Parts: sequence; structure tokens; C-alpha cells
Amino acid sequence: MPEFPASERSLRLGVAGPVGTGKSSLIALICRALADEIRIGVITNDIYTDEDARLLRSAGVLDPDRIRAIETGACPHTAIRDDVTANLQAVERLENDYYPLDLVLVESGGDNLTATFSPALVDAQIFVLDVAGGGDVARKGGPGIARADLLVVNKTDLADYVGVDVEQMVSDATEAREGEPVLALSRTDEASVARLREWLLALLASHRAGAHEPQDPGPMAPHFHADEEGGYVHTHDDEGEEHSHQHVRV
Amino acid sequence: MTVTSTDLPTRRNASATLAMLLADSRLPAGAHVSSNGLEAGLRHGLAAHEVADYMRTRMTTVVRVEAGAAVIARHLADVRPSADGAADTEQGSGDPDRDSFRPERNGIAPERDTVVPDRLGVLETEWAARTPSAALREIAVALGAGLARIGQRIWPQTAAVLRPTPLPRPIVLGTIAACAGIGAADLVRLVAYDDAQTVAAAVLKLEPTDPIRVTGWVLDACAAMEDSVSELSRLTRPEALPASGAPLIEDWAEVQSVLPRRLFRA
Ligand SMILES: Nc1nc2c(ncn2[C@@H]2O[C@H](COP(=O)(O)OP(=O)(O)OP(=O)(O)O)[C@@H](O)[C@H]2O)c(=O)[nH]1
Ligand SMILES: [Mg+2]
Repeated sequence: MPEFPASERSLRLGVAGPVGTGKSSLIALICRALADEIRIGVITNDIYTDEDARLLRSAGVLDPDRIRAIETGACPHTAIRDDVTANLQAVERLENDYYPLDLVLVESGGDNLTATFSPALVDAQIFVLDVAGGGDVARKGGPGIARADLLVVNKTDLADYVGVDVEQMVSDATEAREGEPVLALSRTDEASVARLREWLLALLASHRAGAHEPQDPGPMAPHFHADEEGGYVHTHDDEGEEHSHQHVRV
Repeated sequence: MTVTSTDLPTRRNASATLAMLLADSRLPAGAHVSSNGLEAGLRHGLAAHEVADYMRTRMTTVVRVEAGAAVIARHLADVRPSADGAADTEQGSGDPDRDSFRPERNGIAPERDTVVPDRLGVLETEWAARTPSAALREIAVALGAGLARIGQRIWPQTAAVLRPTPLPRPIVLGTIAACAGIGAADLVRLVAYDDAQTVAAAVLKLEPTDPIRVTGWVLDACAAMEDSVSELSRLTRPEALPASGAPLIEDWAEVQSVLPRRLFRA
């Protein structure tokens, strides 16, 4: 846990999602769009180490030493959720080596739909799906799809080739997320990249102002806490509330 | 910074409970990144059926260094004010199997802030001299940092020692043992068990084998260590740390640190 207010250090942003949906490419897009304005570092979690870090280094979007790979001992899920030690050490070292950083991006190893980051590691997370995985994936739900800070539906340029109706997929996703943001993205669609950039800058501003509170998408459906008055469920409603993680009595 | 006694947790746990906690791979200390050199070993000629031998060989070589360093660190970190106010570093009961937590150990002498780090620094030098592989020293410090993160939060009285500088895992473990109340013999067994179980978990990922058979190997290795427990648990002086490294294990550690397409960091 940070010993100083989170808002005084970099924004730590996780990027999760199934294998090959475009997590590394999204990170490269973010670096390309923002590296001139803000100071960025990247941590990658590979199954077989280095692939993602190498890909990103060769993209030439960031000083190669600001892109660090960690090995997860074949436990990519554990390393971002149950035992974040190796990632936290890498993030802290990077923050230390390049103090001050504005943003540290942590790419999870490509995993299944249940893998999400622990709030002990990241302040916010993006979950990445792609149209090639099928238009109905968004409806299948799961913690990342339902409750990541942003859901990206990637590779929209491929939609026609794989017979996916992007608008339908986005609206399914928006429904699964109860209105939380969904971004249809393609690296070939400038306007979509601009929207990603805007979302990120707004998040960064909120983090700096100390107004952003990390949310845990959790491993399962919205969690229910029993208490003597009948219990409450967590929802994620932030209509300008300073405490965006409200407890609603049921 | 001195932690006053009012800040100290009132929790009391038995030495055995603490040892189980620290040996549990579910402890969030970042240890799952290590195979104890097994990954490199398997790629450099170690056969899957020789893994049991590898575990046992580690017990007679590198584990002696690790366990010895942990025991000595435990001894050095155990500074209690004696009757006349001077720091007392003698083993209280002289019984390495002491298994109950003694409340007076919870008192932190102000000396701990300076004396203990200095002494542990001497021990670290001795440990480093007996751990010639830079890769082995590096992973020990990384794993030590992961454990220290837990140590500082759960046993705040360790923070003064653990916070300022990253220390290798056995020294962090010994410091926690001193403050939390793990007996020296349990500490040796903890280091041994953890070492074998790390190899066991890794072999199941690298050379899928019957997991129950591998569990038997862990117990065989720990049993092989048992004869040395008493001797190792009585160590107190940094200079007495066993110098029983194994060149091949050190070589594999170096190979592992630059192994292409590896699953494990170490
Ligand atoms: N057509 C198209 N392809 C894309 C887009 N973004 C990424 N890709 C391709 O999708 C493939 C996978 O992209 P990566 O960025 O490596 O995906 P990843 O999620 O990081 O993959 P893993 O780390 O292996 O899980 C690559 O071949 C990319 O070139 C996009 O917007 N459009
Ligand atoms: Mg990737």
C-alpha cells in the first residue's frame, strides 16, 4: 500500500483482457498519443517473458528502459490479483528510476475473462475485447467486462470481415456495464484514438485531484454483504459524488 | 524511528503457526516467480527424474547457507533491554525449540534502530561472500523485499530494521522470526521446506509429473535436512555461517537470469 497519498504518485493503469485482443497495441497507441505530453512507464506481464516488452520497445514509442517485463512463474492471474508483489516492485522501481512519472501502464498476461487487477496494484483498469472474439462476448459478462473502468471493443476495422455489428456489441456491453463507459476502438480510426486519449486525460486529472477512488471489479458478480439490517450491494455510480463507491441498502 | 510498545499488536501466535504462514505459497510475498534454478537446470541437463536429488542436494549446500543466515539474523535482531539497560543478545532460554511467544520479547530497545542494522549488515556481507552468484544474491534481495513488505505491516516492530535497506530473504526472515517469535529450529525447517516446495511447484509447471510423487520428494528432502537442524539452529556469529554453496547451482542461477523464454525469474 502506498505510504503517501496516491494522487501524489503516478496513475497506475492496468490493461487486461483475453489473449491477442490488442492490449500491447493499445498501450502503444496511448504512448504514441501522449508521450509528448506526459511521462509514461510500462510494465508487461508475459507468460513467456519479454514478448510484449520487446514488441513495445520495437514500436519505438517510448525509451526502451521505461518498458520493463516481469516473469510471473506461469501465474499471470496470481501476479495481478492474489499476489501483486512482483508487479508492485517493478512499478515502484520504475517510478523511482524515472521520478516523477505521470502514468504507469501495466499489461496483464493475456488471460481469460475472469482475470482482473487488484486495487492494491492499479488505480484503474481497462478491459480489452476485440470484435474478432465474437460479437456476443460482451454479453457473456464477467468482472472485467462488467466493472473495469473502461471497456474497449477493439479492432472495429475488422468488424465487417468477422460479421460483427459493432453498434450492437457496444450497446450490449453498455447494458452489461449499466452505463459505464465502452469505447469502440481501432488503431486505424483516428477519432476513436482521440476518445481514448480524452478518457485517459480526464482520469489522470481526477487522479491528481485526489477524486479518483480505485474500484475492484471483483472476481464475480456484484458482491453482496450481509449485515444485521439485511445487507447491501455495491454499485458503481459516480454522478459527481466524491465517494463513487456507494453502498445501496436493499 | 522507534516503535513504542503501545503501537505493538497484542496478537500472539505460536512459532508453528507463524512458520506455517511464512511457508505457505499463498502468502502474498511474490515468491511464485522463482523455481530455485530448476528451469535452467532442466534445460541444462537435469532430468525430470533427478529433481528429487536436486532438492536433496540443495539441502546439503545452498539451504545450509540460507537457513544459517536466517538463524543468525534471528539471533542478531533479538535485542532486548536487560536488567541494567544494556542490550542483551543472548538467547533467552538457550532452547532453540522454544515454541511459545514470550511477551517481553515484544519490547523494542532503542538500540535496535542502529545496532541491529549494523549487525545485520555484517551478516549480509558474510552471506554475500558465501553466495558468489550475483543472480542468486539479486533474487534473494527481491524476495526479501517482498517478504519485508509483509513484515513491516504485520509486525511493525520490524519496520525500523526492514524499511531502510533491502535485505536478502533469509535475513528478512530471521528478523521477522526474532520479532514475531519463531523458534530457531522451526526457522531452519521453514527455510528447508520452502526451498523444496519452491522446486516442487516449479517442476509441476515445467515437467508435469505426478504431483503426489513430487510431494513425497519434498518430505524426503526435508527429512534429509533434519539431522542438521539442531546444529544450524545454534548458530549465532556471522563468521560461523556455513560456506556450502554449490558451483553448479550457482551456474544455473546465472543461466536462469538470462534464459530466453523463461517462465520463472529465478
Ligand atoms: N486490425 C487490427 N488489428 C489490431 C488492432 N490492434 C491490434 N491488432 C492486432 O492484433 C494482434 C494482437 O495484438 P497485441 O497488441 O499483441 O495483443 P495483446 O492483447 O497484447 O496480446 P497478448 O499480449 O499476447 O495477450 C496483433 O497482430 C495486432 O497487430 C486494430 O485496431 N486493428
Ligand atoms: Mg500483449
